[in-house]
Amino acid sequence: MKSKKLNPALLLVAIASLTAGAASAQEYTVDGKVFGLPEARVYTEDYQGPPAVGEYLSALPNLKALNYTGNRTHQVRLDTFAQEVEIAPGKRYVAWTFGGSAPGPTLHVREGDRIIFTMKNRSDEEVAITPPLQNAFQKATPSRAPMPHSMDFHSGTVAASDKWRTIAPGQTIQFEWVANYPGVYMYHCGTPSVLMHTAMGQYGAVVVSPKDGYATDGDVDHSYVMVQSEFYLAANPNGGVMRYDHAAAMARTPSVVAFNGHVSAVHNEPLKANAGDRVRLYVLNAGPSGTSSFHVIGAIFDRIWYEGNPFNEMRGMQTVLLGASNGAVMEFIVPEEGSYKIVDHEFADAERGASGTLKAGPRK
Amino acid sequence: MRNLLCLPALALAASAVQAEPVAIDGGTLQLRVLLGDSTTVSIAPFRLDATPVTNADFAAFVAASPRWGRDAAPSVFRDAGYLQALATAPADYPITHVSWFAASAYCAAQGGRLPTQDEWEYVAHESTHLEPDTYAAMLFAYYADPASHARRAVGAAHVGRWGVHDMHGLVLEWVEDFQMVAKSSTGDSAIGASCGDTARYLADNDPAHYVTFLRYQSRSNYTPRTTTSTLGFRCAYDIAT
Repeated sequence: MKSKKLNPALLLVAIASLTAGAASAQEYTVDGKVFGLPEARVYTEDYQGPPAVGEYLSALPNLKALNYTGNRTHQVRLDTFAQEVEIAPGKRYVAWTFGGSAPGPTLHVREGDRIIFTMKNRSDEEVAITPPLQNAFQKATPSRAPMPHSMDFHSGTVAASDKWRTIAPGQTIQFEWVANYPGVYMYHCGTPSVLMHTAMGQYGAVVVSPKDGYATDGDVDHSYVMVQSEFYLAANPNGGVMRYDHAAAMARTPSVVAFNGHVSAVHNEPLKANAGDRVRLYVLNAGPSGTSSFHVIGAIFDRIWYEGNPFNEMRGMQTVLLGASNGAVMEFIVPEEGSYKIVDHEFADAERGASGTLKAGPRK
Repeated sequence: MRNLLCLPALALAASAVQAEPVAIDGGTLQLRVLLGDSTTVSIAPFRLDATPVTNADFAAFVAASPRWGRDAAPSVFRDAGYLQALATAPADYPITHVSWFAASAYCAAQGGRLPTQDEWEYVAHESTHLEPDTYAAMLFAYYADPASHARRAVGAAHVGRWGVHDMHGLVLEWVEDFQMVAKSSTGDSAIGASCGDTARYLADNDPAHYVTFLRYQSRSNYTPRTTTSTLGFRCAYDIAT
């Protein structure tokens, strides 16, 4: 028999967890930005409640209006768990999600706001999701896929080794971040084997509105959020739902590319406007690996704030190129009554599903 | 080897389960996940349970060691889900919802221990000899819906070399050194802090290596208290020299 000895790996991890947050003892500001937030807390809780909680969370393509002035502190919960979802007719798989859909819900805050974020890893629970934070097109049913996960908010400026750390099934993490910079941001799971974690559905959008707004805020008639992403799936030889196709993910040959998590999402429920309206789109290309050449057929973007920062203003663009995790605010005037297709102008991806519709009524 | 104090209700089903350890020949493991300078590791002969430990096996252990019962086990040794399925799951299904601490205690009670990561990988590879793409497809299919796979008796699948069953496709399994530690000349460090950090640990970038890394990595992010519906174990035994 082997002699009893301490497992060196366990010891090492125990030490690491004691010292992980040592760097963030004190809050400070540089250039008006807040840094040095408290150490993340990892714990277990007996929480069985709703998996997505926050006054300013919404399901795609909607964005919750900020009905407050100045800054506030948000309490936001986005649990991570598995759901069997549909992303195209007949194509279902067990997605790894934040909040029950892929992409997850959109969070809206204002530059300077503080977010106290909580996430429980419920990947080994069957969690039922309910409207309004539900992607109706995905026809989700609860599933289980126990797996460690983490949360990485691109909108946060923190030590990833602390805040974005991976938690085991059954654990909860809580941490704070401050929305120091305005923009359209990605959030995603950053646990290694990250290509698989993101390709399985763990991403969504955060919109940080600038503290002084965008120049056109008073003229915008409709605002929508669109998240583009790729799905890499193969038929399962044993039947049942589809499985992750790593060879396809590495070759960047997605089986489906979609806006808002389903090839029909923005067709069956088109974005709505009227002729002469100014429409604002908050667009995120979640990837995980592809680009988006975002285009509205029949319109020209007359204002673009690349990454959503008001200093990055561009004008008169037919197509906006977004790399993986790039975002932008794009506005256009709806020319006349009719139907407008929204596409990734990389047509191989449009043909895989990256398309949608804006339906315009008569001028009012 | 096995504890024979089976609960009467489980005894019949338990007798159908052949979880006796089998002899594993020594040999060389070609590492798919590289945590140090070496690409191979030498494995000494040992014995390994032919199947994952079953509910009947574990119920017998709890009957003999009540301090490892669902409510009795101290919470520092297990999370809230510990043994949550034991009362209802069929006797010949693999035990799940079991922590690393409890699995280690079980194996110690049998005069054994958990296999090391390298021992487990060696047996998995040598006992199945799957083509890399077949192996990857099978495991990705497993991860596509893992909870559905733990719902069958142990030993039903194809038997491999040495008479070993169910290394893949039934449950994931604890190993003794389940947390990945990268060894380098500048010291050891735990792996798992950040994303995009895979290629430097893989002997090759194909799906077979990636899915192997996923097994190492996901297990590495558990705590020794963690229990899940898809995580079981089997025991290894040293051969007296």
